[in-house]
Amino acid sequence: MNVLNPASVPLIEVQDVAKQFKIPSVRRESLREHVFDLFRPRPFECLRVLESIRFNVMRGETLGIMGRNGCGKSTLLKVLCGIYQPDAGRAIVRAPLTPILELGVGWNPELNAIDNTYLIGTVMGLSLGDIRRALDEILAFAELERFANLELRHFSSGMASRLAYSIAFKAVREILVLDEVFAVGDAGFKARCEERYRQLRAAGHTVIIVSHDPRAVREFCDRALLLERGTIVMDGPPAEVVNAYLSLLGPDHVSG
Amino acid sequence: MRANVPSLAWTLVRTDFKVRYHGTIAGFLWALLKPLAMVLVLVGVFSFVFGAQKDYASNVIIGILLYDFFSEATKVGLTSLRSKGYLLTKSAAPSWIIVATSFSNAAVTLAVVASVYLAVISFRGQVLTVTSLALLLWYLCHYVLMVVGISLATSVLFLKYRDLHEVWDVLIQAGFFVAPIVYPLSILPEKFHIFLYAWPPTPIIQFVRAVLLTGQVPTFRAHVYLSIETLAIVLLGTWVFGQFRGRVAEYL
Repeated sequence: MNVLNPASVPLIEVQDVAKQFKIPSVRRESLREHVFDLFRPRPFECLRVLESIRFNVMRGETLGIMGRNGCGKSTLLKVLCGIYQPDAGRAIVRAPLTPILELGVGWNPELNAIDNTYLIGTVMGLSLGDIRRALDEILAFAELERFANLELRHFSSGMASRLAYSIAFKAVREILVLDEVFAVGDAGFKARCEERYRQLRAAGHTVIIVSHDPRAVREFCDRALLLERGTIVMDGPPAEVVNAYLSLLGPDHVSG
Repeated sequence: MRANVPSLAWTLVRTDFKVRYHGTIAGFLWALLKPLAMVLVLVGVFSFVFGAQKDYASNVIIGILLYDFFSEATKVGLTSLRSKGYLLTKSAAPSWIIVATSFSNAAVTLAVVASVYLAVISFRGQVLTVTSLALLLWYLCHYVLMVVGISLATSVLFLKYRDLHEVWDVLIQAGFFVAPIVYPLSILPEKFHIFLYAWPPTPIIQFVRAVLLTGQVPTFRAHVYLSIETLAIVLLGTWVFGQFRGRVAEYL
């Protein structure tokens, strides 16, 4: 039994997480190569993507993560989501987590929007009944009612992303992880996303947002991290993190 | 992210079915053409060689249908993680469900063809008892478990060794003649039988033939061996899968 007050236990605890990728200089991808090159040493480089990452997220908190391209944001999110396993340290996530990574989810291009909604919805943890009941609402939110029977391969990337967000907003149970949420869709869709997002926040959901957009981080986050070369260089109020991020980008980007 | 396992499994099966047959009956009939053509050719050719054997055509048909299921299901199983990689790199969908449901299309084909076959032989006077049908189901359960066990291992190994599917194709082709499909097992010396029985389709084909055609139920001991073989394959497959499962998304 947990004797601690549940509110004081972090919902997400990241303890000294490190992740590296081995990139062989000579790539062996087949059995034939493995058999014939059995005794030849195999050189590879290690690419350290994350190093001693440590932070907590409390229930109901919204955490922003900023950083330049290639700083390890996406890898960190994948570790949190359980897609990658850390080489060292632990990422403890104490509640179900719904991710949307890299502008979307994995679609099956040969299926129509409805079948893909079932596929992604069940992957995100919804039951068939949940999806059946919410289908109209999901399609309406994404403004895709007219294209419900169109195969996904005919969708524009914007349409596919709208559908992904629409499903994820429906599927979220506790924690929502969003990679570049406010970069999708036209102004109308963005406004609805922000509205929906405010509702989730008001309902006490925990959210992690990765964004390059200073406005989004300032406006929506309670706290922010700045990642640079795989380590956290700053953990604090969003406004300060945004300024530090902008100064990393160079003098042209510092906001007044 | 915690997936709802029954809903996800059902959706994966449905997705496979829709993608493979484009949701049409005609598409499904195409899939039946392959085992049918194979049966016609082999029964036609080998009837000259083994024509004197009782029930030769029936033996070949049972052998081909069961082998076709094995070949189809293990080939799809081997590529299952790679072909559904899009679900694994952007979400933490439980990868084992993807492998464990990959045999579904092959199972649908087998179920349809087998039902037709059973209807035909019972119409022609073969007596099908409840016991023989129950045993048939029992053997097929073992068969499916063996396929899943093999697929669990090959699906993760394929991510690392990209020519594994070619190796497997060769094995499947050679295995067609290891399993006693076109020849009766009795033409080989008995000391080799144990090796042939280690190849998963062999015991299943032999046992199914025994209960459906001759009405002779294999011994209790034979059943124990079958279950041990199945369990060994499943455990080994699960173990191999466990070695790689955490890194599936990285290999994709």
